[in-house]
Amino acid sequence: MRDKHLCGWSRQGVQVWGFVALVLMSASPAAGQPTLVDLLRVLNLSAYAPGLGLPHLTGQTVTGETVSVTELRGRVVLVHFWATWCGECRPEMSLFERLHQDFAAQGLTVLGINIRDETPRIQRYAKDLGLTYPLVLDPEGVIAKAYGVIGLPTTFLVGRDGRPVALAVGPRAWGSAEARTLVQALLAEVVAQAR
Amino acid sequence: MANLSTRKADYPKFQELNVQILGISTNHPFSQKTFAESLQLPYPLLSDFPDLQVTRQYGGLSGHPTLAKHGIAERAFFLIDIQGIVRQQWVIQGGEDVVFSSEPLLKAAREVAGK
Repeated sequence: MRDKHLCGWSRQGVQVWGFVALVLMSASPAAGQPTLVDLLRVLNLSAYAPGLGLPHLTGQTVTGETVSVTELRGRVVLVHFWATWCGECRPEMSLFERLHQDFAAQGLTVLGINIRDETPRIQRYAKDLGLTYPLVLDPEGVIAKAYGVIGLPTTFLVGRDGRPVALAVGPRAWGSAEARTLVQALLAEVVAQAR
Repeated sequence: MANLSTRKADYPKFQELNVQILGISTNHPFSQKTFAESLQLPYPLLSDFPDLQVTRQYGGLSGHPTLAKHGIAERAFFLIDIQGIVRQQWVIQGGEDVVFSSEPLLKAAREVAGK
């Protein structure tokens, strides 16, 4: 039933669903500039409703540093969940590295949350692909559970104000011009707010 | 998860009976959105987090003290008619692997709908 592009990471008990109610019903931006909504649509990203908070995320990176998403407020954050065995994840890793290289200085933080791989394996993988952005360990899937992740890759975009902006379940065109425009639009938000 | 997918597979049958399926859980809305996107469910998921009011009112909180303490609900189904009256309920025994068939739900819905 899952998206055909998703790697089959899931675990019974990750989400505990309560109950289902069955109800019988009685009846049936400026011209030329793509808006955030336009960009999300083009990239097939799902937008969040206003006011929804982001689950707390703290973890250790593969290099032993502690990362907390709440301490990243003021930066645009791209959080993607991945695993070394996930075939759909691999092409995206280099695209995320490119975004990291091009936009980190402007305020983008890319976080790769690895689910259940052993550290040496992650290190080899990162070396092979030349990854330099933080790779966070989630050996028990705790972070994935908090974010509701049941398939890989799954990616979240967070604005500078800490609000969740968009969600992608499955691979997306993160190397496209539209993706770069989206990141730039989010990076520009704080500039507008600071003035 | 398998139960949600089972209802997804049988969704047209529920639609034929004019039954709206609502999935309710005690999970955080953020994780619920990820979950709904992942499963591409044709029906909405509602969050009862953090107060668990609906879950409590329906007696849906887990009977296991430890699970209840963590806000974990029983897996259960409630059939509500157009007057808002609960016509039937099913509480699923067993673990996550137990998949409850849609047939008893559809049968009850047919009876309520007079079809």
